[in-house]
Amino acid sequence: MSNVKERVGTGVGVTLILLWCLLPVAWIVSLSFKSQEAVTNGSPGFFPASGAGAGFDNYKQVLQDDAFLLAIRNSIVVSLSATILSVALATLAAYAIARLEFRGKKFVLTTALVIAMFPVVSLVGPLFDMWRTVGLYDTWWGLMIPYISFTLPLAIWTLSAFFREIPWEMEQAAQVDGATPWQAFRKVIVPLAAPGVFTAAILTFFFAWNDFVFGISLTSTERARPIPAALSFFVGADPFNRPASLLAAAAVVATIPIVVLVLFFQRKIVAGLTAGAVKG
Amino acid sequence: MTRPARARRAVAAAASAVLACSVLTACGGGDSGPATLNWYINPDGQDTLNALAKSCSTDEYTIKINLLPSSATDQRTQLARRLAAKDSSTDLMSLDPVFVPEFANAKWLLPFKGDLAGKVLDDDVLKGIAETVQWDDQVVAAPQWANTQVLWYRKSLAEAAGLDMTKPVTWDQVIDAASENDGTVGVQANKYEAYVVWINSLIQGAGGNILDPSTVESGRDAKVTISSQAGEDAAAVIRKLARSKAAQPDFTTSNEGTSLGQMYPAQGAGEFMTNWTFVYKNYEGLLGKPGGPKDKAELEDLGFTRYPQTVAGQESKPPVGGIDIGVGAYSKHPDLAQQAAICVTDAKAQSALAVNEGLMPSRQSVYDSDELKKAYPPALLTLWRESVDSGGPRPKSAFYSQISSAIQSRWHSPTSVGPGTPKRSASFLEDILSGKALL
Amino acid sequence: MTTTEARPTSHKPSKPPKAPDSDRSRSENRLALKLVALPLALMLLVTAFPMLRALYLSLFDYSLTAPDDRTFIGLSNYVTALTDGLFWRDTLITVFIMVVTVSFELVIGFAFAMVMHKVIFARGVIRTSILIPYGVITVVSGFAWQFAFSNTNGFVNSWLPFIDTDFNWFAEQGSSLVAIMASEIWKTTPFMSLLLLAGLAQVSEDMIEAAKVDGATWFQRLYKVILPNMRAAIMVAVLFRALDAYRIFDNIFVMTAGANNTESISFLTYRQVIEQFQLGIGSALSVLLFLSVLVVAAVIVKLFRVDLADARQG
Repeated sequence: MSNVKERVGTGVGVTLILLWCLLPVAWIVSLSFKSQEAVTNGSPGFFPASGAGAGFDNYKQVLQDDAFLLAIRNSIVVSLSATILSVALATLAAYAIARLEFRGKKFVLTTALVIAMFPVVSLVGPLFDMWRTVGLYDTWWGLMIPYISFTLPLAIWTLSAFFREIPWEMEQAAQVDGATPWQAFRKVIVPLAAPGVFTAAILTFFFAWNDFVFGISLTSTERARPIPAALSFFVGADPFNRPASLLAAAAVVATIPIVVLVLFFQRKIVAGLTAGAVKG
Repeated sequence: MTRPARARRAVAAAASAVLACSVLTACGGGDSGPATLNWYINPDGQDTLNALAKSCSTDEYTIKINLLPSSATDQRTQLARRLAAKDSSTDLMSLDPVFVPEFANAKWLLPFKGDLAGKVLDDDVLKGIAETVQWDDQVVAAPQWANTQVLWYRKSLAEAAGLDMTKPVTWDQVIDAASENDGTVGVQANKYEAYVVWINSLIQGAGGNILDPSTVESGRDAKVTISSQAGEDAAAVIRKLARSKAAQPDFTTSNEGTSLGQMYPAQGAGEFMTNWTFVYKNYEGLLGKPGGPKDKAELEDLGFTRYPQTVAGQESKPPVGGIDIGVGAYSKHPDLAQQAAICVTDAKAQSALAVNEGLMPSRQSVYDSDELKKAYPPALLTLWRESVDSGGPRPKSAFYSQISSAIQSRWHSPTSVGPGTPKRSASFLEDILSGKALL
Repeated sequence: MTTTEARPTSHKPSKPPKAPDSDRSRSENRLALKLVALPLALMLLVTAFPMLRALYLSLFDYSLTAPDDRTFIGLSNYVTALTDGLFWRDTLITVFIMVVTVSFELVIGFAFAMVMHKVIFARGVIRTSILIPYGVITVVSGFAWQFAFSNTNGFVNSWLPFIDTDFNWFAEQGSSLVAIMASEIWKTTPFMSLLLLAGLAQVSEDMIEAAKVDGATWFQRLYKVILPNMRAAIMVAVLFRALDAYRIFDNIFVMTAGANNTESISFLTYRQVIEQFQLGIGSALSVLLFLSVLVVAAVIVKLFRVDLADARQG
């Protein structure tokens, strides 16, 4: 009896979760199929009214928009490079933290924690001032450097949590066989740590892809402007109104990489998200 | 990738890439081919501006168009940030006239000197517009087009209300006429620049000013005069519309685009709307389409007249705007850029902008040209030229963007505007100008 | 920061016994320092150095549009900021948003976690869907909700029976904040629920079963067994989300740009620095923003620490 009740309850709960997560996504997809004319004149409702549909016109237009294509390029280059560099650096630090005893460990961890809590907006002013003097303003590196710094804490935690699960006896065995700590690290641990590294990379990529504060403050042209900033400046045929449906199409395009990553790696992402935060 | 040696090499490579980058930007464009001039444009009239960029390019230089965001505030932010970073790739920029003083004061604009200055500002340029491009007795930008607002309306609606549109009308009359006849009044009252445009015109229409015009150019020491009878008159108009049935549903977030659809609504009698010159071409282009006039007869029902009066009997001061072309002070090709600026603002260019995009000329001769007379009803051309000529500029101050933000912060939301508003905004504006308050 | 103890580093069961040989420990120390040097330097370059610079610039009246007029004015910028109503109003709004969103997220996220903990079918599907809001760009979420609440193109007005179809959500403070918080809550609840799910997984089933046998009601089991045993997880989740919410910026930028008193403290700082180019007062606000984040963190840690101590005694 209570079992049936519980099952019904769980079923309802699952439905609610799915609605919660997917309804707004469905909405933005639906909006992207409304025609721009209909949107300018007002077309309330979840689905495009009959005759107010645009087919794939908005997508075609978005994918022919140079500014948006360049933003996609910038976002991909900057996010991927920042991810690779950040994870590479974090791997080193996480290994040291998980495996080695050293003075200053607490300092590293505290720094990482403080940075994770850091209000990024309080940095954009001085960073802008610094970047404009050294010529990093409106460049890929000007974005990559802050992305790396701000994803390092997340990557370090996630990785050190993963590293602690690795059977280190194997490393010890290697060391007994005469390998230096460094060789043991490279030959034995790296292959074992790869899944964790991969997870950290996905989370880092999400951060970089999502960033908005640096994206609008440290860029000013298509040369380096990433997708979120480009979206906020999106201009349609009518310069006075945000082209809602066009923007929706662009937003859907920008979300596709995320959905793909989530579809393929959901298990890893969840493990990574919770590993860094809860064990302890 | 996890080897520190490799990581170190990557960082070194990164560092050298950064270095190479900045060296490149410092001396880029120095090859044998034609120089590239970057022109930052605002999104109005993109097609014609692209064509202009092409036709004005020569063997010596190619003009490359870069698009700025759509709001005036964002445009200023983007440009100012580049110039504060002493960016040498900002050659040409389309500037809202209100930001010219700030940019000129920061020495971000390269003044036109000698013959060039004479070419930019000859007698043909409308007086009110010529005023906007001068700072410290120098010509700091070239006027490209002039904008102004008029009152657009449905003739049938005015008729139903028994309003005689051949004579100047007041805001009171317009709001009453709309609310009593199932119509609406379209304005710009979102928290943004165009709301200040409206407020400024209302105040000037009542004979006042936000800042005292004789001290406005002294920056922080300007005298604040918004707390006056004229300020109160302006507040009364906003308050009246806010409380009227004629206010549109998105009144407090309305912009130049939101009220366009209310002229030919599915239900209702249409609207009175104060809006810029692009409106005419807009409805012409929407003939038979949703949001536009059903047929020729409905298009002909679109009326236009002088901007409404704040106070009955006192001549209105229509808003003026437009675009001036500035040349970046750090440009690598200053001479070429100034040459290009003159090309994209000459009579031919202005005529093309007017005919194709509805962006009106800043030169008298272009208003008189046959192309324009063919494209627009002569009465409308006259109305526009007169409006530009007798319009009221916004405060010409190097601190304009702060002044504008200060006004926005005290006058928005329009539903909260009342008798105390001018006074409150005056003391706030004084604090802002003296650096004693946060914006 | 005492919170590091919440991190996994505080105990390492798999740690091999320390080598007695001090050469070895010295070489270990050296290797470790080499490994952490670069990441640490990078983190400090982008945070500590600019922060110190902000501290310095905050003592000047310095505007980028008039760079020659830079003058030293001591602490005047701080006085201006701290005596300004706007600063306190925006702080209040930020705290309000933080408290409301985190409370909603905690309750909804916990409910989601309970469901996910129980569910035995379609786990992959649920996990995938719950990660989508987490992954969606905040700006996109802001747009989606802005358009959803729009009275010209949205659907919310027609779906909510007690709302007029013409109602403009972005016309006043209260309803604008509702829209902003909806976007914020939608996007971040999944993260919360995943953290809580992990915490829930650590509560021993035996204890719950035992409580059940003792005749404890569902409610009693929740309060007496489940919640106390996942305090650590809740604390981490709340701390992280609260600090994140306190920094709210993207949604406000996209949805209202601060109109109708919906400005957060981050947005205020951004406007001074990036829009007004007032590096002096902007830097002062940056410093104050940083300090206020530390205060929020300290308050949360303190609150939960007391609880944890009580739990241990009880």
